Amino acid sequence: MEHARPAVTVRGVTKSFSLGAGRALEVVDVEHLALPTGSCTVLKGRSGSGKTTLLNLIAGVSLPTTGSILIDDTEIFALPEPRRDRFRAEHVGYVFQTFNLLSAFSALENVMLSMMFARTVPRSQQRTRAREILARLGLADRLAHKPAQLSRGEQQRVAIARALANDPPVVLADEPCASLDAETAREVLAEFLTVCREHRTTLLIVSHDDAVLDTADRVLDMATLNRARGRRQTAPAGEPE
Amino acid sequence: MTLFTIAGRYLQGRLVASVLTAVSIALGVSLVVATVLLSRGIRDGFVEGTTDYNLIVGAKGSPTQLVLNVVFRIDTPTPNISWRTYEYLKDDPRVEMAVPVAMGDAYQGFRYVATTDAYFAPFPWRRRTFALSAGRFFRDDPPEQPRYEAILGAEAARRTGLGVGDRFYEGDEMAEYPLTVVGILSPTRSADDRAIFFSLASFWEMNEVSRKMQVKPLTAVLVRPRRMSDLPSLHRGFNVSAETQAAFPSAVLLNVFNLVNLVEEVLAIVLGIVALVVLLYLFVSMYSATFERRREIATMRALGASRATILGIVLLESCFLAGIGGVAGILGGHGAAYLGALLLAARSGVVAHPFAVSCLQPVTFVAVVGLGALSGLLPALFAYRMEVSENLAPIS
Repeated sequence: MEHARPAVTVRGVTKSFSLGAGRALEVVDVEHLALPTGSCTVLKGRSGSGKTTLLNLIAGVSLPTTGSILIDDTEIFALPEPRRDRFRAEHVGYVFQTFNLLSAFSALENVMLSMMFARTVPRSQQRTRAREILARLGLADRLAHKPAQLSRGEQQRVAIARALANDPPVVLADEPCASLDAETAREVLAEFLTVCREHRTTLLIVSHDDAVLDTADRVLDMATLNRARGRRQTAPAGEPE
Repeated sequence: MTLFTIAGRYLQGRLVASVLTAVSIALGVSLVVATVLLSRGIRDGFVEGTTDYNLIVGAKGSPTQLVLNVVFRIDTPTPNISWRTYEYLKDDPRVEMAVPVAMGDAYQGFRYVATTDAYFAPFPWRRRTFALSAGRFFRDDPPEQPRYEAILGAEAARRTGLGVGDRFYEGDEMAEYPLTVVGILSPTRSADDRAIFFSLASFWEMNEVSRKMQVKPLTAVLVRPRRMSDLPSLHRGFNVSAETQAAFPSAVLLNVFNLVNLVEEVLAIVLGIVALVVLLYLFVSMYSATFERRREIATMRALGASRATILGIVLLESCFLAGIGGVAGILGGHGAAYLGALLLAARSGVVAHPFAVSCLQPVTFVAVVGLGALSGLLPALFAYRMEVSENLAPIS
């Protein structure tokens, strides 16, 4: 598959968490990563290797310690926070491992929420568009159901619909099939990938699932990607490491 | 979808907690509103119900008791004075009008007031006018030939169900002295609405003690001086007497208002504490709701909601709760004040009208919503400052 300019570029990004007393734990240290537009990249790696942290950094919900991330040529951390929030709503869809649907809202409202924050779809068309996406994912008869009234497979479909509602150029998915049984996972994944490919959406999926790995244009190992090679603790100056 | 929809959904999502919080706000607000309305109603009731006469002469004792009993029918009557006191006042050149009054027992809780037709006369200086909604006024009958004719105050007639031509008496011993209703007064918004009036002759003949007395007893004489400058000398003259006293209704009213002020000050402190407790309750309710919802807040932020949007949602929820509680509290407060006014009217002659529309209602509503926003501010700031990536994972 031919891919043009990268939709996402990660340059020299590190992320450290303070452990107190001047100590820090470096979880992510990626020198360079480029996700070509319309590509499907799967990121695998051991638990705690920094996959979710990298996803959060690309989504812009977590600030890097150093480095920069470009989405569609926009340096996201150069944007003031309110503009970065708006940019994320418009440009990045996020599918969480545990779906993270809002319990007080129906399936339709969960999807409409992301459109409300992005404001890319006119308010008068949001309901219709949310209905269409949910119908496309086989949930036409579950629109008014609250998350607690849906099966896990249905919940994940709603989460995917929510991520795709604004037709974002980039979708990040964190273990999207991890909490589904194999058959449901296969069905959901197939629908997800079909929609993304139709819209030439750039996909970055964190997964260990063979079914997911098989569909990828590229598989990256976080251990290879990460210069930190596991957790590296840094000590305050003058202290032995 | 709007912020209002989101805030509304979250309130629906924890319906029981939301209802309980709104109810506690409503209770606090209704307590404040009922107290303010009743206190204002009592004050207005005293002002509206006061007499047009400037001096009340009665037996020695408490001037407050004399005025409250004769004008507002509160408290027990003072001891009797003699008819001669009335005659003396009637003939005094300083006095323009003197009206004798005798307070008797009651029929179904409505006080008997024996007087003359002068009590109802429309003198040019009178603020209050008496009109009949049915029948006629009773006649001033001679002492030896009482007609036992009665006219009823509007409320007394309504509550007893008596109409013109009906005969009534209270207690078997009064069966031989039944009163006949000859007229019903139009409402006066005073204690007179709850009184049953008849002639002094009838009163004396009905009263076993007074039947045996040579000089007929009275409770008080209402006095209007020719000149206001004569008031101090009249007042002094009756107060130096060993048997009588003279009281200024306006001075007694001032004392009552001072007492009401004192009660209001104590109530203000109590109500302040109630408001503080309600605010704390709202704060705790909003804080725990926000704390439990931190994963959902983080999710909304990850979907692109700004910090300001999250702040707005929590503040809106708080304001919604306060607004609903405020409206329910204002309505409940009016209901409580209405019941309080009924109770007050049943036990005294003070007729309070707690339904006057004023700035109280909008000011209370705005204040409650404002305080609701204040209570929600800290939880809203907690949500505003929340770290997104730390809260996206399931909360164990």
